[in-house]
Amino acid sequence: MILIYLKLALRHIWNSKLYSGINIFGLSLGLAACLLIGLYITNELKYDDFHEKSDHIYRVTMEFNNAGTINAAAVCGTQVGPEFKRTFPIVEDYVRAYLGNNTIKHGQDLFEENRILYADPSFFNIFSFNFIHGDPATAIDAPDKIVLTQSTAKKYFGNDNPIGQILTSGGVDFKVSGICTDPPQNSQIKFDFVTQFYNLGNGVKTETWWSANWVTYLLLHSNDNIKDFESQVNEFMDSEAITAQTGSVSPNYLHYHFEPLKKVHLYSSLAGFEPNGSITYIYIFGIIAILILIIAIANYTNLAIAQSMGRGSEIGTRKVLGAKKIQIFTQFIGESVLLTSISTVIGFLIAFFTIPFFNLISGKNFEIVDIIHPTPILLFAAFAIIVGFLAGFYPSLILARTEIMTVLKSGLSKTNKSGTSIRKLLLITQFGISIFLISLTSIIVQQVNFIKTKNIGYDREQILVLPIGGKMVKDFDILKEAFQNVNGVKSVTASYETPEYVEWSDGITVVGKNGEQNISLNAMPIDLDFTSTLGIEIAAGRDFMKSDFALMDTSNNSANYQLPYIINEKLASMIGWTPDEAIGKIINNMAAGPIVGVIKDFHFSSMHEPVGPLLQFLGRDFSRVFMIKIDGNNLQNTISGLEKVWFDKIIGRQFNYHFLDEDFDKLYASEDRSTALFKSAAILAIILASLGLFGLAAFVIVQRTKEIGIRRVLGATISEITFLLAKQFLILISISILLAVPLAWIAGNSWISDFAYKINLGWHHFVFAGLVVLTISLSTVSYHAVKACLSKPVKSLRSE
Amino acid sequence: MIKITDLEKKYSTEEVVTVALNKLSLEVKKGEFVSIMGPSGCGKSTLLNIIGLLDDPDSGSYRFNDIEVAKFNERKRSELRKHNIGFVFQSFNLIDELTVYENVELPLVYTKVKASERKKQVEQVLEKMGIMHRRNHFPQQLSGGQQQRVAISRAVVTNPKLILADEPTGNLDSANGNDVMQLLTELNDQGTTIVMVTHSEHDAKFSHRIISMLDGKTVAENILI
Repeated sequence: MILIYLKLALRHIWNSKLYSGINIFGLSLGLAACLLIGLYITNELKYDDFHEKSDHIYRVTMEFNNAGTINAAAVCGTQVGPEFKRTFPIVEDYVRAYLGNNTIKHGQDLFEENRILYADPSFFNIFSFNFIHGDPATAIDAPDKIVLTQSTAKKYFGNDNPIGQILTSGGVDFKVSGICTDPPQNSQIKFDFVTQFYNLGNGVKTETWWSANWVTYLLLHSNDNIKDFESQVNEFMDSEAITAQTGSVSPNYLHYHFEPLKKVHLYSSLAGFEPNGSITYIYIFGIIAILILIIAIANYTNLAIAQSMGRGSEIGTRKVLGAKKIQIFTQFIGESVLLTSISTVIGFLIAFFTIPFFNLISGKNFEIVDIIHPTPILLFAAFAIIVGFLAGFYPSLILARTEIMTVLKSGLSKTNKSGTSIRKLLLITQFGISIFLISLTSIIVQQVNFIKTKNIGYDREQILVLPIGGKMVKDFDILKEAFQNVNGVKSVTASYETPEYVEWSDGITVVGKNGEQNISLNAMPIDLDFTSTLGIEIAAGRDFMKSDFALMDTSNNSANYQLPYIINEKLASMIGWTPDEAIGKIINNMAAGPIVGVIKDFHFSSMHEPVGPLLQFLGRDFSRVFMIKIDGNNLQNTISGLEKVWFDKIIGRQFNYHFLDEDFDKLYASEDRSTALFKSAAILAIILASLGLFGLAAFVIVQRTKEIGIRRVLGATISEITFLLAKQFLILISISILLAVPLAWIAGNSWISDFAYKINLGWHHFVFAGLVVLTISLSTVSYHAVKACLSKPVKSLRSE
Repeated sequence: MIKITDLEKKYSTEEVVTVALNKLSLEVKKGEFVSIMGPSGCGKSTLLNIIGLLDDPDSGSYRFNDIEVAKFNERKRSELRKHNIGFVFQSFNLIDELTVYENVELPLVYTKVKASERKKQVEQVLEKMGIMHRRNHFPQQLSGGQQQRVAISRAVVTNPKLILADEPTGNLDSANGNDVMQLLTELNDQGTTIVMVTHSEHDAKFSHRIISMLDGKTVAENILI
């Protein structure tokens, strides 16, 4: 019996190729999208889950109040780990870590490496990175030991045994003591090398609360009552003995918080070794997956109901011949599950082939092996059966319950009004979701475009960025001059950070119109020519000049030392000065000094934040990057010239450059990902909904063939018939628009409210979405309508 | 009014070619009532469909009111059809979703007659056909005879010059069938040309001329008046 049913089901699928094809393809697409999104969500939710002790590991973050401004960071001073271990018995161990870059030499080969992890020897005891060679307990117990990841070992040593081999960095030899597997992509600590924390230099050997540059993790004996532990720590930090060390006397304070390792990636607002993910993204991805699945299932159910209408006489005959309700029900549910099973297999294949594209959208690096895993396969299979059952349930029930004579006399379509209502409801849902996603996509695209093209107050084009490190500060002038003399170079400057994202937090004391003020702000140590190289406008005063160095007089125990400053308009207005009034006034940061210039505000953070107060001081010694403005006329030549200077003047470092606009684009990586995600989801939604409409319109038109014929005989034109047929869909789509627009408005408004600089939400986003959906659906319906009209009326009438 | 010369129409499937009309020639004068008879498959309905411009011939000439229409495209055919020809089908071909009034009104909608004028014309014809009291009913709520009255009302509401009837009594009992034939005769008396395809000798006797067909050709002609 089952075989007969299977044969019949396959024949039925074959006989209605168009509808079955649409059904299978639509559901496959939906399932593939859900599979990939599911993979992403699982991966994100399992971030840092692979460490055996992950439930007992906490990341320490600091919070400090300085001059009334509260700051927070995911880094601490060197004292935090050791002090807490000594003081609080709950702390079993700690590890301080820093991800640095350096040149690694092997034989004659030089490699510029930027994932060298400097960590305390406890690192491999606290975290579980599997060792292929070597002993994790002793792998970095001496300063000359270094651990490599599997792929790094391959890069340096090929198939040779790397253990005991020597690598040189900064003139020091390191012996390879272990090889561990590459950190998985869902690890917040990603490295190529691990060596001792103390190899960072003598500066880190002294315990200090400040100079907070080190990510610190604690391994706790117990994970109960973390809040109590946090309170104890902060009471300790507020104690007289400690505040004497930290200098944070009330109302200032220095406190610490403990973030469970597994929550850091999705829930923390503080970036550590890498930018964090966001639980909001997980919700967005999840909601999109559900919406796509709803569309796909709605499609499937809709077409299944529509198709069932054409099978009235088959069911009537079966019932006449003795089929029971349960048999009819089972037959149709079986067909539905068969169809969804075929879709599942195809969905799997689609997911396989679209992994690279999905990686682009999600910023992940999934591989095929991530899908071929018993858990997703079993889940997917179970899911397909459930979807098949749910989607097939309603049509099967209707088919099974229909009375014999009714169906034989009038056909199913005339007996089943509720089927039509459900189809309408499903169509409204599908198009509502499509309009929602298209509107949101349009809002996101316009907002991202707005922030990327908004005048940021400086010129980020044709600025080449080169790192400064090691002994380069010593030969700063020589290097700068050599760069300046390269053909195509317009000007050269240097600073601690590039201007698109200034992290240096600081504070000043100033006597303004309202008396003495303490102001928290961002600060930038910069070199000469910063303002001109970046094309920043000066509102009053001037840029730093060579003669300003004379103010920084370190003779006589720095008794006459003055630091010249440039401030932005925002800071001037916070103090209560016009730009002109600010010139020559004294402010006090690291040292007191005069304001020599006021620059117009430029964006030194993402557009999520309004422009804040900014202080620039002449701080060449802090420089970490050269910024070189080039004319771009002969880019290749200019870069070759710079490279030649680099290798002439700098020994043992690779020439790794990038452009400032790349840094700027990285700021909006998350927004770019949102855009790509929503674009893909909206396109997928509209494809699925249109596929469904295509099938449904074809079906409805087949049902109305006779009517079309009669109307044609009576003189109706093609456009009149098309409008008549499209009208019913137009009404449904109009309802979808009415329902989806308010929801999209709320969601869009909520998304852009996160930006300090944002577009105005206008009707055009929703009109655009409505027009896209209307155009696509009208074309779909018109295609069938025109096709039906073009056949001779006599054929339509013969359909009876 | 109708002059057909050497009309040919073939239907082909993958395996068989069926000749529906084989060099058929025929003439119908204005005001005539002509019946076409013959066994199933002889080509009667195909001929009627071509006369009604619902289908086109493969070759031959078809002149309607002295205009060659055999090669007309669908738009021209439709234009000519809606102003000149009314149809009555065996299966009535009423639209189930429309009321009696709306069904009858439909040809006037497509000929762009104003709403007020439409109302007057539809009510006039429904009154004449004796189904005014059923104006708000749907086709399924009517008997077969009543449905065919609606179909005839719809066919005549635009005052066509030609009415084509394809077995108009085929689905009716004899009493209702006689009523329908009476209606057609009255229309013909008022000047409408009628071409009717029928199997019924009884119905054919209402016409002026009977044309017998076999294998796509006219084989006999019997003038009754």
